[in-house]
Amino acid sequence: MDLAITTAALRKEFGACTAVDGVTFEVEVGTVFGLIGANGSGKTTTLRMLLDIIRLTSGSIEVLGQDPRQGGASLRKRIGFLPGELRLEGRATGRQILDFYASVSGPIVPGAVEQLTERFGVDLDRPVGDLSRGNKQKVGLIQAFMHEPELLILDEPTSGLDPLMKREFIQLVREARDNGQTVLLSTHILSEIQQCADSVLVLNKGRAVANGDVESLRLTSIRYLHAGISGAQRDVVQDRLTRIGNVRDVVTSARAGGGIRLAATVDGPVDDLMKALAEFTITDITIDEPDLEESVLSLYEKPVGGGHGA
Amino acid sequence: MHSQLPVLRRSLLESWRATLGWTIGVAAALLLYLPLFPSIGGNDQMQQLIDGLPPELVSALGYDQIGSGAGYTQATFYGLIGFLILSIAAITWGASAVAGAEESGRLELDLAHGIGRVQYVIETSLAVIVRLCWLVLFASVLVIALSGPSELDLGIGDVGAAALALGGLVLLIGAVMLFVGAASGRKTWALFAGTAVAVGGYAVNAVANQSPDLGWLRVFSPYAWAYHQPPLTAGPNAAGITALFAVSLVCLVLATALLNRRDISG
Repeated sequence: MDLAITTAALRKEFGACTAVDGVTFEVEVGTVFGLIGANGSGKTTTLRMLLDIIRLTSGSIEVLGQDPRQGGASLRKRIGFLPGELRLEGRATGRQILDFYASVSGPIVPGAVEQLTERFGVDLDRPVGDLSRGNKQKVGLIQAFMHEPELLILDEPTSGLDPLMKREFIQLVREARDNGQTVLLSTHILSEIQQCADSVLVLNKGRAVANGDVESLRLTSIRYLHAGISGAQRDVVQDRLTRIGNVRDVVTSARAGGGIRLAATVDGPVDDLMKALAEFTITDITIDEPDLEESVLSLYEKPVGGGHGA
Repeated sequence: MHSQLPVLRRSLLESWRATLGWTIGVAAALLLYLPLFPSIGGNDQMQQLIDGLPPELVSALGYDQIGSGAGYTQATFYGLIGFLILSIAAITWGASAVAGAEESGRLELDLAHGIGRVQYVIETSLAVIVRLCWLVLFASVLVIALSGPSELDLGIGDVGAAALALGGLVLLIGAVMLFVGAASGRKTWALFAGTAVAVGGYAVNAVANQSPDLGWLRVFSPYAWAYHQPPLTAGPNAAGITALFAVSLVCLVLATALLNRRDISG
């Protein structure tokens, strides 16, 4: 198993504040690795340490077989990076910026920039200072991908992109993986992880709270049910649902105009719940996925691990 | 696609408009002041007017030698308006070089590419130096060209000495700013340091001119290192000019070392 990134007990302190606290993870070559967590969880700090933009307080890092500090510019040529807060300002056009980065991190395959530009649909002849947030982000993505780096480190890559471009981005990440490239992406958007990541590290307040392959983490096993039921007693519905093993937080209430409003949380398969509900007359129903924060919160209650190496 | 000195070339390309603007400023100042010498500096009535001014004011402005072409050129351009223009240019460029790039987030992205930190400081410093050298060279050529028509009677060697003094002085301002910017990552701090060297040096020199008892203050004034011995008449002051360039070099070496050691903030 070849590893693109390994960290051991990675720690970063800013004065009295510990931003990253003993994080250990590995990223296999040719995989997509998701780094998820709320704002301030240490995602960006971790990524910056991988690039030697900031220096670790203790622990160790190896990126593409080298210590980032020792690897220097020649190592970073092999990495494509998109900062979390991409700020492109001034009179320079997108093309001038890409030409500059191509000259320092190239060579790039002829036509690569044109191909990426066409996919994302961004005007490279306008000054970047005049571009919208989403179009700046596209220029940022192009500069990260254009030299086909062995490793892509992308911090919140889809922020500012419209849904169509998000899909294009996911496709690009999959193609990069098929091409043998390794992708490390940080995000707080669960669906991106679901769509393209092979494994995941969840950070909370600088600590790893979960680490493993996406399936084993069962990030998506929780569902929220909301339904309207008519022609049934509240306590009957309440009692029927509470008896199902993986249904909890059952709340029923009388609805103005008759009927019952029902809310419940399901952890795992929904089959038993659906069969139970079928005994009643359902006027409306929604089943929602939790957002990332809720998934992460549910992970805090579970032991760390479950995936490879754990 | 590989090219030599990419950061230097980018800095120069991006700032050509500003450089052109400063060049026009230098030209305007010289074309405004120097041709007036026959009617002002060399004029007896003007000399009488200056003799009637408080001597403290005259020495503070450096107008005590205004009767000669060299004294006039020193007092108007090298010591005042030229110093002002080039200082502001150095302060602008020095602030944006490292600290400005860091605050705008550009440094983070640049350093994530195949650019080393030492290389970054060296190339951005060179970009400041090249532009300041251009302004000094341009000013020197124009002063030499105007010397005859404006009856200034300046030799090429005199102008060369003044160019060294002015160049060293503004280089020091830029170098201090690069050092403070590289150490702190804060544009405001770099601006403060550069302005302190320029304005503080000028003010300390003006105070030192007030009395022989205060002459020791000149040790603290880079302006005095450059100009206490008037370069246009007495030639370059070897000690002063060596000090300007040596301190500049130390600042640039420290800037390189410090940026290489610390975290880059976004």
